[in-house]
Amino acid sequence: MNTKIELTKEIKLPSAALGLSTISGSEDLLVSCFDGTVLKLDLQKETWNPLAKHNSYASGVVTCLNGKLAASAGYDGVLQWHDLHDSKTVSVEKIHDFWSWQLKASPNQKLIASVTGQYLCGGYKYEPAAEKEPSIKVFDTKTRKLLHTFSHIPPVLSVGFSPDSHHLAAANMMGDIKIWNLDTGHLVRAWNTPDFTSWGIIKSHHYIGGIFDLSFSKDGNRLLVCGMGPMRDPMAGNGKQTWQEFDWILDTPEKTREIIDDERGRGLMETLSLHPSGDLFCMAGRMAQGNWNTALFSTESGKRLQGIDNKTRITRSAFSADGSKLYLAGAKSQGAPKEGKWSEFGRILVYELTSG
Amino acid sequence: MRKSSNPYAGNHCSDQDHRLHRRKFLQGMGSGLGASMFSWSGLLTPSIFAEIAKKQQKRCILLWLCGAPSQFETWDPKPGRITSGPFGSIPTKIPGVHFSELMPQCATIADKLSIVRSMKTEPTEHFQAIDRLNRGDAPRPPFTRPTLGSVLGQQLGQLDSPIPNFILLDPCPEGNEFKSFKAGNWAGWLGAEYGPVRLGGDYKIPDVHKLSDITTEDHEEREALRRFLTRKFENDRQSAAAASQNAAFQRVKGLMSCADLFDLERLPVKDRERYGQGTFGQHTLLARHLVENGAPFVMVANGMPWDCHVFQHEIYQMLVPDLDNIIYQLVTDLEDRGMLENTLVVMMGEFGRTPWLNASRGRDHYPNAWSLALAGCGIQKGAVVGATDADGIEVTENPFDEKNLFATLFTALGIDPYAEYDLPGFPTFHRVEKEAEPIREVLI
Repeated sequence: MNTKIELTKEIKLPSAALGLSTISGSEDLLVSCFDGTVLKLDLQKETWNPLAKHNSYASGVVTCLNGKLAASAGYDGVLQWHDLHDSKTVSVEKIHDFWSWQLKASPNQKLIASVTGQYLCGGYKYEPAAEKEPSIKVFDTKTRKLLHTFSHIPPVLSVGFSPDSHHLAAANMMGDIKIWNLDTGHLVRAWNTPDFTSWGIIKSHHYIGGIFDLSFSKDGNRLLVCGMGPMRDPMAGNGKQTWQEFDWILDTPEKTREIIDDERGRGLMETLSLHPSGDLFCMAGRMAQGNWNTALFSTESGKRLQGIDNKTRITRSAFSADGSKLYLAGAKSQGAPKEGKWSEFGRILVYELTSG
Repeated sequence: MRKSSNPYAGNHCSDQDHRLHRRKFLQGMGSGLGASMFSWSGLLTPSIFAEIAKKQQKRCILLWLCGAPSQFETWDPKPGRITSGPFGSIPTKIPGVHFSELMPQCATIADKLSIVRSMKTEPTEHFQAIDRLNRGDAPRPPFTRPTLGSVLGQQLGQLDSPIPNFILLDPCPEGNEFKSFKAGNWAGWLGAEYGPVRLGGDYKIPDVHKLSDITTEDHEEREALRRFLTRKFENDRQSAAAASQNAAFQRVKGLMSCADLFDLERLPVKDRERYGQGTFGQHTLLARHLVENGAPFVMVANGMPWDCHVFQHEIYQMLVPDLDNIIYQLVTDLEDRGMLENTLVVMMGEFGRTPWLNASRGRDHYPNAWSLALAGCGIQKGAVVGATDADGIEVTENPFDEKNLFATLFTALGIDPYAEYDLPGFPTFHRVEKEAEPIREVLI
């Protein structure tokens, strides 16, 4: 396999883009931003219309019910439902006391899940305190009712559904990964990987890092997780760019693979998306050192197929349904205002995939 | 040290206020009790008079927020503005004044605090800024100005106190720029005896307990012999090194007598839980305990965790609530114990953070417009001084720098801010140069 990506479009937005979703049967995208807005973005015209507004960062947006409905969540702890046909918000509900770190929709578009949790000092070494509210909430997209609440150790940063929509995985700052059966509501697996979390030996005594995104493999038997390797100085943001793959079907899940050390630089990896073919995946984020912040990897070999530096901090990625495009959401430095005007520091990048 | 002629200097504290000042009190008690024999630690039974004196003794706790906290996520939020970050703001006990939503407990005691929202300083890098905000002035090599702790230790403490006059609690042995600063000369021209005793991490002073296989009499006799021989050596050789060694022994002897004060396990579990389990909270509780028992100056640091160029919001969700609780517990504790009026609490870092986010979603160094908080001795309750513009980019009212701040701290504690140092062979130096004005709005 020799797949490459090529940048075809770069769209500037007024505020940093945090969340991104494709819409079934449409060329449009939904984008959620720092300024709380949820935008409907016309990629052809490169114009956008505000769909909704949160009272803090809008961290995630998803579509469901074949593109008829969208849901967004934010650092205001609020879940909003939007009718995409009428471009109207139909429901607003406070679902978390703290912010929603990530929002995902199930592949069958019948469920959505939001994860939360505040990192509060719980011990001498600033171990995270126990959760004060359920860290994971799962909703039915048809009724918009709460279906499940699950417990975890906060903060829970990432969540994802299995391809058959029967299982849900969620991971936290400390590298704890849990998987639940959504039919029974039972926890079926729980394990820890220590390779994504730092404790500040120098400068500051606390934890930082975690698993920022995850995705099941196409057959559903493996779980891919991403983030950044440990750092000596937790303020540096220079841990190694990292993904790991686990066989979670085993009674005791085992790490089956991870990024090849020679192929990685340093920096936080915030998003991991599986290509519809299942043959490759994209991991992207920020580059602190090295020569790429966005890369494609072969799911078969684990090798990096291509790495590029788009000089943007990428927070969310998505492939188009036909797999021909890769969409990235992120931001540049906000920078000081020039002549009283703030820069447009949000970015949507569109790449086309080609087979060489 | 010569007093300044400035009529404002230290004028808010009368002689009456100083009547029970610890230093004078102990001098006065010298013939009866012997100041060097006296201890606030409770090892000797304190008199009722000493208890009163202890409460009225001026002292200071500096919560040193090293790395420089963001003003937006603490004292000067800008809700709804492009610079606000993800956290909202909440009303406080002071009508019309909002703090970050991460500070709900401080919001309830805002009427006991003074907030300065218009600090405007020069250094943009940590080491220089830490130095500037600890010494109160720019460097003037080869002369080294003493730090705030050394000056207050000298002014509020006594040399032969068993409790160190300047205690630095910090669990972090490293800390990059703060580590470099810590390795430097804290006491400057005041002399090494005014430098800090540094503790941290496990809270207890190691290896200061008398050997179990010798009697107290044996211990005292050994110490008397050591003192005689080293004094003789010091006199015969005119040795400053020997004198310094003797001073160190005296300090260790003092620490031996008050080592229990540093043992947090002797404090109620409830108190330890209230302050939070992290090192910063535990050390702040220890600071309260130490000033309660006679320490004139305690500086509490925690490495330099506030320097969030990366993960600004991810770390502040933990750091600020921790700080919020610690300040609340400390201020209310001091008030409940009748100590707040005589204990100055200073909460600050070396500068602020940028209104804009960098490419890593962090905030960088920003000395142009930042905030700090004060409470207690000599400080107005519920004052909010200075202002920044709508986005927090520039100071729009009453800019203050480190000289103004130090003039304020000294004045609040009844110390002449403009007194001239008696330094033969040196240029003329004052505690605060150029008669910089204190921040009058925060002073009682």
